[in-house]
Amino acid sequence: MRNLYFVVLATLLLVALSGTLVHYYLRARRSAGDTWEDLLRRLTWIDREAIATVALDAVGPLDERGNPRQQNESFALDDDTIWKLLGGLEGLQVVERNCRVLVDLATYLQRYYPEALVVAEQLRLNAREIEWHVGRLKGAAQTGNLRSSFTDYAQRAVVTYYRMTRLLLDLCDQAGAPGLVQLQQAI
Amino acid sequence: MHPTAFVRIVWTATFANSLLLLFVLFMRRRAGSFPAFTTYVAFSVLENIAGFLALYHLAFATYRSIFYSLEILDEGIQVLVFYELAVHVFCPTGAWARDVRRAFLRLVAASAGVAFLLSWIAQPPAPLRVQTFILRADFFSSLLMCELFVGTVVLTATVGLPWKTHVARIAQGLGAYSLLSLAIGIGVAPVGISAHNAIFAGLIRARKLVWLACQVYWIVTLWQEAPAPRELPEVMRAQIFSLQNRVRDDLIRIRGPRNR
Repeated sequence: MRNLYFVVLATLLLVALSGTLVHYYLRARRSAGDTWEDLLRRLTWIDREAIATVALDAVGPLDERGNPRQQNESFALDDDTIWKLLGGLEGLQVVERNCRVLVDLATYLQRYYPEALVVAEQLRLNAREIEWHVGRLKGAAQTGNLRSSFTDYAQRAVVTYYRMTRLLLDLCDQAGAPGLVQLQQAI
Repeated sequence: MHPTAFVRIVWTATFANSLLLLFVLFMRRRAGSFPAFTTYVAFSVLENIAGFLALYHLAFATYRSIFYSLEILDEGIQVLVFYELAVHVFCPTGAWARDVRRAFLRLVAASAGVAFLLSWIAQPPAPLRVQTFILRADFFSSLLMCELFVGTVVLTATVGLPWKTHVARIAQGLGAYSLLSLAIGIGVAPVGISAHNAIFAGLIRARKLVWLACQVYWIVTLWQEAPAPRELPEVMRAQIFSLQNRVRDDLIRIRGPRNR
């Protein structure tokens, strides 16, 4: 009887492990064949103006080097306005999906350009951290605690997302990388 | 005891493959990158020689003791090989990636727990208690390796860490072998060991053939060179460094949001 339980449980586990392996193996194979342009195409369109408004409210307009300029009227937007500008939970989901692509872009750099390993790893960790912040906001929204978490996380997470995507755009522009038009449209 | 023709052929083929694989690892300078895997292959050569000498020159009971001891050592070295692969994947810059360490420890603990529980439930019939123990230990090892392998694949996909070519090839071979060993182990547990057990003998033969196939896969794939890395354009390199520095500064501010 005990061996029967064993066979049933072990078989179920084997099927689950095999299924998971096949799923992730196929996913990894697909993404291993992705080009830089393929990854950029995966970015979801987001209202860049709205994101910029929220971001610039926190850090002020960026100078030509991408650094924030000093200003006295930072954090003028209230939570409701920020919530509307970001498009609520759906907007955050798009930001989260795009963070995932940023992680994949860092992975791409690690895979094909070993000389950029250290910096690509840092980028990956940072993109993961933004993903984490956005994930917390999403969790808070689902439990109805978004308002209290929003002040802490949302705006600054969006600032970082905005900064990262904007610099990515500059990167492609200056390096003459293909897919710039799609990227501009996406982020 | 006189081994069958099948056993002699598989024995010879495994021995030859292990030697060839060892040659490939040293010839292609992979041994330095994979010391645990190289040790595992070298151990496989010694295991073959020791098993062969014990079978023909020692009493059957002594041969069995040596065989079981080597089996347990073999399984211990497999865990080291897995750790080595995990270090290659999860320590891209030489240190464990921050976002991985805790998840990896949880994976190891959960895998060991599940493997222990299932091995405890199994009651493979065998004439000697040590044989029951060995069958359970064998199943535990196959399941543990399988869980760790699948868990690592899931973890790397989640956190976005790439597999280097040769690490991926070794892991694929070991993972495939573990999965098939697990399937065979599920078949072995209810039938156990008896003097004339055709099912048990057939399953063990199948497992040996799977191992041979894995060895051939490693010989071929580890002989081949990894794709040449691409050169990063200077502008792109500078931009990536700049991007990283700015994002890092932003994140420092996010981590202290109450300062606003």
